[in-house]
Formats: sequence, structure tokens, C-alpha cells
Amino acid sequence: MNYDFDWSVLWTGQSGQWLLQGVMTTLRLSTLAWLLAALLGILSGALRAAGSKALSRLATFYVEFFRNVPILVWMFFWYFAVPPLLPQAVREWLFHHGAEFWAAISALGVYHGARFSEVIRSGIQSIPKTQLEAALSSGLTVTQAYRLVIVPIALRLIIPSATNESLNLLKNSSLAMTISVAELTFQTRQIEAYTAKALEALTAGTAIYLALCLGIASVMAQVERRYAIPGMIARAGRAEH
Amino acid sequence: MQRAILVLVTVLLGAAWAMAETTLEKIVRTGTITIGTRTGSPPFAYINRQNEWVGFSIDLVEQAIVPALSRTLGKPVKLDKKETAPQTRIPLLTSHAVDLIAETMTDTRSRREAVDFSLTFFVTGAQFLVKKESPIKGIKDIAGRRVAAQQGSTNAKIIRERVPKTRLQEFPDQPTAFQALAQGQVDAYTNDGIQLAGLKAKSPRPDEWKIVGDFYSYEPYGMALRKNESDFRQLVNLGLMEAIESGKYFELYDKWLGPKGEVPYPLTPETRRFLQMQVVPK
Amino acid sequence: MDPRVILSNLEFLIIQGFLGLGVFTGGTLRLALPAIILGSILGIFIGLGRLAGSPWIRIPATIYVEFFRGVPLVMVIFWFWFMIPLLLRIPLPEYGAALMAFVVFEAAYLGEIVRTGIQSVPRGQVEAATATGLTTAQTMRHVVLPQALRNMIPALVTQFIVLFKDTSLASIIGYIDLTKAAQIVNSREIRPFELYLFIAIVYWLCTYAMSRYARYVERRLRPA
Repeated sequence: MNYDFDWSVLWTGQSGQWLLQGVMTTLRLSTLAWLLAALLGILSGALRAAGSKALSRLATFYVEFFRNVPILVWMFFWYFAVPPLLPQAVREWLFHHGAEFWAAISALGVYHGARFSEVIRSGIQSIPKTQLEAALSSGLTVTQAYRLVIVPIALRLIIPSATNESLNLLKNSSLAMTISVAELTFQTRQIEAYTAKALEALTAGTAIYLALCLGIASVMAQVERRYAIPGMIARAGRAEH
Repeated sequence: MQRAILVLVTVLLGAAWAMAETTLEKIVRTGTITIGTRTGSPPFAYINRQNEWVGFSIDLVEQAIVPALSRTLGKPVKLDKKETAPQTRIPLLTSHAVDLIAETMTDTRSRREAVDFSLTFFVTGAQFLVKKESPIKGIKDIAGRRVAAQQGSTNAKIIRERVPKTRLQEFPDQPTAFQALAQGQVDAYTNDGIQLAGLKAKSPRPDEWKIVGDFYSYEPYGMALRKNESDFRQLVNLGLMEAIESGKYFELYDKWLGPKGEVPYPLTPETRRFLQMQVVPK
Repeated sequence: MDPRVILSNLEFLIIQGFLGLGVFTGGTLRLALPAIILGSILGIFIGLGRLAGSPWIRIPATIYVEFFRGVPLVMVIFWFWFMIPLLLRIPLPEYGAALMAFVVFEAAYLGEIVRTGIQSVPRGQVEAATATGLTTAQTMRHVVLPQALRNMIPALVTQFIVLFKDTSLASIIGYIDLTKAAQIVNSREIRPFELYLFIAIVYWLCTYAMSRYARYVERRLRPA
């Protein structure tokens, strides 16, 4: 193997700084996108499970269209195809305030919102109807029944698959590099471009992603254990695509 | 189980042995030379409207270098093309995935630590591509502005060092960077002048664009090859020298970069002289 | 909004980008189909490995799954693209790099599906099989796997859909799939809305068809 290892490139010069900046950007991007996705997911998931026919149809269309298209295509779509459609003033503001970042957030948020929607919907649907009937017969209105009984249970049921989906979001944030967002994968390639030390750079990037994912997964596993509802865990959240 | 191990060892040994051969030996063995080149850098290497992979660099290899190879090695040599990008071309070359990088690669001293270069086959410098109405006139005007560049390019590095206040947006490849400029996400795109001329010429409305700024860098293009391959390098240079001497080079130059070419880019007298002086006596 | 750009480039987009039958090595299908088949084969081994008795097999299999589920696919693609040629000194075209990356990556997920599928077969089945004198291997082959396969099919098709969408990532290393084809055309024509919407619809048609099929199979297999 003809390769001169030089691990010091990771901390000498700018590489360490770049990696740190990359991690920060990845986390910022993922968090904001997650908030958008959670919002869209809860909204559309609830509508699909319990909304009016028309709203349910709309939510279904949103989910079925957005989650069946690759996230990379959405990245390009939101960054290149959407801005020309916006009014001039909005576009100008965007271009001067990190359009690529907002496009990545939109792409990730809308895509994973559709996926969260499925997670939530299957969570709600796996709650036995008897819970809802009992809630209604004890005098709660439909909205109250959902708000006070169904949704809290659903949220606890879906912890494993929601965690899974959130980690998918974190991993998909790596695709923002294709629209020039300087997140972690971008910085890995940057280090490789300026030092030609591909192995070291890739190892650093991979190790950081692993640490983030395994870290979040184990924290959520603890959370799940604490909030587990005995007898109901196995029911919910089959892994959706 | 033992048989599997035996097969694996044989394959690895075979691969190791195969890799001990020189580029010329590989070309003789396979009858093919594999070049790394681009798909979005007109007129050097790009995909045209008929979806063919063509260009000045590709023609130089096909019509100047391959004949020299075929003649010297005594057998016909075929050309195989693979796509490369700034970040990957050197690893792809050193790993034997490609034998020669024939695209728009600048010959620099630091790159010569990793690879060898052929003669210079083109000379240009870095400039900016902007919309016609843009107030940007050169490197003095870009501080604080959004400028697109290709990740890993020499241009990105120079801008980063010389004008750190620039909001540099680095894209994985030229097509994406140009899309960003075309849609206004960035104010300027920086690359070598000739590549900008190519983009401009090939865009739907070339008059919308202008190329501004003095060369803020000197970019001599060379073809990169692996180190310790003097015989191969000799043949590559021979092919180029013969093409310059016989006029074939200027014919190809005219075809791609002449007034009626894909991307008009006049050959200055100094550059012509420089190219001719690279042709050493027999 | 001008659909003509789609029509004039339709051949390149579909024949080259989607089917992979053009001048360049490319094609979404050319990558997706072998990846699904090879990934499933490797996935079965990984899944069985996770259930193995011997920790020498079980622990590496578990590490394998946990590793690939914790890294982005694009990283894995870069690994294969950069490092295999460097480490093994074998030239590797984008197709090979992408295909290997997909197979290795998806096998981790498919392995999990195989594992849960096998684990969903009631213990009674295994006990009955052993009671009738079948060895562990025979039990696995004739009793457990057939039933497990039936349980797994919806989840498997779902994962195949994921793999199909993931082929778009091969465009990042220059493989001319549908996504890359659209980029090439767009950098020439600058009509992103029409082009990216078009390929979104093409992907959607394929994956929607696959997911309808998954639901159909699921309905057919649900116990009465």
C-alpha cells in the first residue's frame, strides 16, 4: 500500500477548525430542519389520522409525493428551482443571507416531515380504538381526547422510530454539501482537497458522524426505557421508508 | 474454505503483480490508455448538445498523443475516458484508475510533489464571470460579495488567502456552480478565464455574461501523469511536440478556440511563441 | 414554465440517465437492480450472523450493522471511491465504487429486516420442527426461513424503495444516473424547475408503484 499516513493534518493548520465548523453547521442545519420536519409531520400525521376528508387527502398527497422522491433531488430543487419563483425582495434577502442554508433546511424539513408523518400516523393507528372510545365516553370531546389521551400515548410509542428518522435526517444533512453548505462532509472533502490526505480526512468525518449517531441513539434508548408503556411497545412504529 | 483463501491470495498477488507494471506496459497489455477528464468544462472536455464527450484536451490526446503511442509501441491504442474532478483526480491517477489527466489542470510546484506534468499545452489565468450589469470589475471588488468556486480548486484557495472577506461558496463541480451564478445565488463565479469563456459561449444567452478582471493567477495547463514514468512522459511530450511542430496543435486550437470555434479565445503571440519554444530540437 | 426543454432532452434523461443505455456508463436502473439483488444476499448473511450462536460471528455482525447505520451513505460512497483504489491498488470506476457502497450499506439495513423477520416466527414452530427430528440447519431452511420471508416481504420492498432513491447519490461521484443527467442538462439550459420537477415525477412514479405493490403484498399476506 503506497500511502504516507499523516494524522497530524487533522489538527495542524486549518483542518481542526474546519472540522469543528463543519460539525457546528451540521448540527445547526439538522436541528432547524428537525423542527420544521416535526411540525409538518405532526400536522400532517394528525390530519391523516383524524382530519376531514379533504385535509386528510391533502396531507396524504404531501406525504406520498415528498417522501417518494430522493432527498438529493429535493436539495437541488429547493436551491435552484424554488428561488426564481419567489418575489424579487424575498429572493434578494435569501441570496444575501445564506440561501443554500435555507434551501437545505427546507429540503430536509419537508422531506423528513413527510416521513415523520408516516411514523406518527402509524403510532396513532396502533393505539387500540378502545382508548379513544374510553376517552370519549368519559366525556372528553374529540379534540380533547386526542390532545390529552391519544397524542401523548402516541408520542411515547413512536420514540424508537422517531429516533431512527431523526438520525436519518442528521445523516441526510450530509447532502447539503452539494449545494455548497459547509457542513461536516463538505469539510471532510475540503481537508482532503488541501492536504491530499483522504484517509485521515474520511476517518475523521466518519468517526464524528458515528459518535453523533450512536450518542443520540443511546440517549434516546434511555429515554424510551423511562417512558415505556408496558405492553404496548412492540405494537407501534414499523420502520417506514 | 481453504480454496477460498487460495483464490483470494492469488487474486491479491495477481493484482499486486499487475500494479508493479509501468504505464506503458499496461497500455501495451490492454491496448487502451485511460484518461481522466471533465464533463462540464467547455471547450476542453464537455458533453455537447449531441451528448457526445468531446473537447480540446480530449482531441489533443486522441490526435496527438495516441498516434505517438501507437507508433512507438507498435500496436493500435484505444482511448478510454473517465470523469475526474479537482478533488479526485490525483488519487485516481496515483491509484492507477486513470493513466493521464487531460483536462484543465494547472501545473503547479506543489502539485509536482505528487505527480509529474507534461509540457504546458495551454495558458490562461483566473478571472470572474459576472452578469452583464454587474459592478464587479476584478479582484478588488469582490470583498464582501458572494463568489462561487469549485471546491478544491486553485482559484478557491487564492481567493480565500488574498481576499478573506469574500463570501466564498464552494460547489462540488462546475455545472452546479454555474447554475448558482445563473440564478443569482452568487454575484460572480471564479475560474480560469478560458473555462469562463467556455461557459459563456455555451450558455443559452451568451450576451448576458461578461468576463472581468486581470488574471489574478497564472494558470499553465499541463497533463498530469504518475511519477517515475519517464518513458511514458517522454511519449506524451513527444506527441505534443510533434503536434505543435506540424501545426496539428494549432489546427485543433482553431477548431475549438478559434474565431469559428466552440469558444473563441485568441492565441496571443507570446503564448504561441512559448508553445513553439517548448519544442526542443530532434 | 417550458416543457419543451424536457422533450428535447428526454432521450438523454431517460435512455442514458434512467436506463443506462447511452454512451456513458450510467443509469439508475443499472445500479439499482444489481444493488438490490446483491444487497439482499449479503443482507441475509448479516441477518443470520446477528442471530448466530457463536459470538465470533454475532459480534462482528452487530458491529457491522451499528456502523453502517451510524454513517451517511455519501460517506460510504466516498470511502469506496477514494480508498479502495488507494489501498488495494485496483482501479475502480464510479459504477463499481457506487455499487459496492450501496451493497455494503444496504445490507446492514436489510440484515436487520431479515433478523426481525426470523425473530417473528413463533418459537413453537422451531420447537415443533426439532421435535420431529429436524436439525437446526434443516429447521432454518424448511420451517423458519419460508415463514420469515413471508413476514419480511413488506419491509424488504420498503427498503428496496429506499435503495432505489439512494441511487441518486451516485451522481455525486459523477455516475450519470437520472439526477446527474438532469444536472448536465440544466447547466446547459438553465431550466431547473422543469428539469428537477420532471425527474422528481419520474422517481415518484417508480417508488409509488413499488410502494403500492408493497401494500398489496402486505394485504395479501396479512393473516385472515
